[in-house]
Amino acid sequence: MMRRATAVTVFGAALLALLFSCSAVSKTPSVPPKHPEDLPAGRADCLECHKDVSTGALKPYAGFRHSSVFIGSHGTYARQGQNLCSSCHVPAFCQTCHAGKEEIKPNVKTGDRPDRMAPHRGDYIATHRIDGRLDPGSCYRCHGNKSDSRCKQCHK
Amino acid sequence: MGHRTSRRNLRKRLALACLSLSASLFLPALTGGDASAADLALSSKTYGLYYERELAGGQKNRYAPLYEYLSTDASNIGGKPVSFHFYGWGRVDLADDSGDNGTSGEVGSLYLEYLHPEGNAQFKLGRFFMTEGAAVGILDGGFAKVTTPAGLGVSVYGGVPVEYSALDNVGGGKSVYGARVFFAKSGFVEIGASYVKENGDVSAKDLELYGGDLWLRVMNGVELTGQATYNQEASEMAHQRYAVRIVPGSTFDIAAGYESYTYKGLFRGALNPAFLSPSVNLDDKVSSIFGVLDWQFVPGWTLELSAKSLDHKEDNPGDAMRGGIGLRYAYNDRKDVAGLSAAFVSADRAENEYQEYRGFASYSPGKLRMTLDALTVQYKQAINGKDDQFQVVGTVGYQLLASLHISGNLTYTQSPDFEEDWAGLVRLNYDFGTSTGGKK
Repeated sequence: MMRRATAVTVFGAALLALLFSCSAVSKTPSVPPKHPEDLPAGRADCLECHKDVSTGALKPYAGFRHSSVFIGSHGTYARQGQNLCSSCHVPAFCQTCHAGKEEIKPNVKTGDRPDRMAPHRGDYIATHRIDGRLDPGSCYRCHGNKSDSRCKQCHK
Repeated sequence: MGHRTSRRNLRKRLALACLSLSASLFLPALTGGDASAADLALSSKTYGLYYERELAGGQKNRYAPLYEYLSTDASNIGGKPVSFHFYGWGRVDLADDSGDNGTSGEVGSLYLEYLHPEGNAQFKLGRFFMTEGAAVGILDGGFAKVTTPAGLGVSVYGGVPVEYSALDNVGGGKSVYGARVFFAKSGFVEIGASYVKENGDVSAKDLELYGGDLWLRVMNGVELTGQATYNQEASEMAHQRYAVRIVPGSTFDIAAGYESYTYKGLFRGALNPAFLSPSVNLDDKVSSIFGVLDWQFVPGWTLELSAKSLDHKEDNPGDAMRGGIGLRYAYNDRKDVAGLSAAFVSADRAENEYQEYRGFASYSPGKLRMTLDALTVQYKQAINGKDDQFQVVGTVGYQLLASLHISGNLTYTQSPDFEEDWAGLVRLNYDFGTSTGGKK
């Protein structure tokens, strides 16, 4: 059993090294780790400067305009790669909402940016009773295994 | 308890091992270049809150937590495509009533990343937030991803999941590993298949997920997306979502699709009792049809519409329909935005129905910035004897220096939980960078 696990690990590492080498000779540029230009205020629209397809994300820039449609479905794109996201957003940006044992609601932290789509505005303790009954899957992504002690006061 | 202690020790050892390995792998690579060269970004966000809470029996407690959120990002270290990222926060209570031992905090991310300039080859080591196929979460471990010139790619990862359990005698996962294989043709398609296995403290918490994901450009401006996850341990389709999106340019964006999930499949690894029986009926299943529109019909003016049906297999909680309409106006070189929105939920059961109305605006003359945000919710059936809530948030801020901004919130709330609640917040943001470039 141990030998098999070792063999699988060695084979996996060799395969990864081979693919890594193949990738290194690719002529496709990666997304730069940091967007080289300062970004204008407001929601990002890559089409203001870029055209057609991102060489790093391999998808059209139009799809990454930060409309309410994109923001609501950004997870679909992020599951295939976050390189384009991380060119403009530092990791801390994602973890404003996708946190571990966060204690401050995102809309409180970004209270001076009411234009941002931040979840749980108002006294969400009251409204979450309804949203949680109707669509608990939308809560689960952030609160399923990263809950804080406040959940336990009622959910025992 | 023994389990928890050993798991904590294991996590600490693995985290230290990851950090040591990171240092030993990456530091030698830096010595070949100019080790002093790096694009640095430092962000410090300090929040001081003050509020009162009335406890059962009429006792009033005062809370004054002080939070510090710190993030550091260094890229192009030593002229190499290597970057370092740190994000963490800590709290100290300034009022005696705060409880919870007066302190809290966590390290959200702490990792080194190598991003090859060509071919999207990528390597991470440390603690990081990851979304890859069926896997979403924070991980102490390693991640590698490569895309070959032919478009075939693979990603692999493994380590210890960073999870926090609210269940008695049950901790988070002990280990997690997985992979995703994919094929991408630039501007045309990306299709992937993924696998993730998480071993829990007890067998019931093991997770084994198979995932599939698709992005397909069927014609210029028209995209099809899909993602599906199957839970092997629960023998259930956990979640699936399919959508068609039409985004011909930068002013119009519309999407519609279908989404469904089963409680047994999706909540299998839950560490929060809110997602377990008896809080929820694990036999339930939700199916949804949804549509979203974002249309900038005149420069600066945007109309937002959304609708989503929620069909439950079980009569309780029953079915519902959620709809929303919003109008936004961006001005002052897009630094400021004003918006109005209305949303409603109509449902089979009166206890699930409500309407929500919101208005907000910002005004930024020079270095000053002011915002106002008002929200009210009308519940069809009273909660705690009250059938509505009302909240107003006002903020004032000033740009003291190019890198230093101070602002404050004052929040007033009337709701089923708070009769008359005032809360204050002071925010100090410091952002320092050694190079230009976008970081939001």
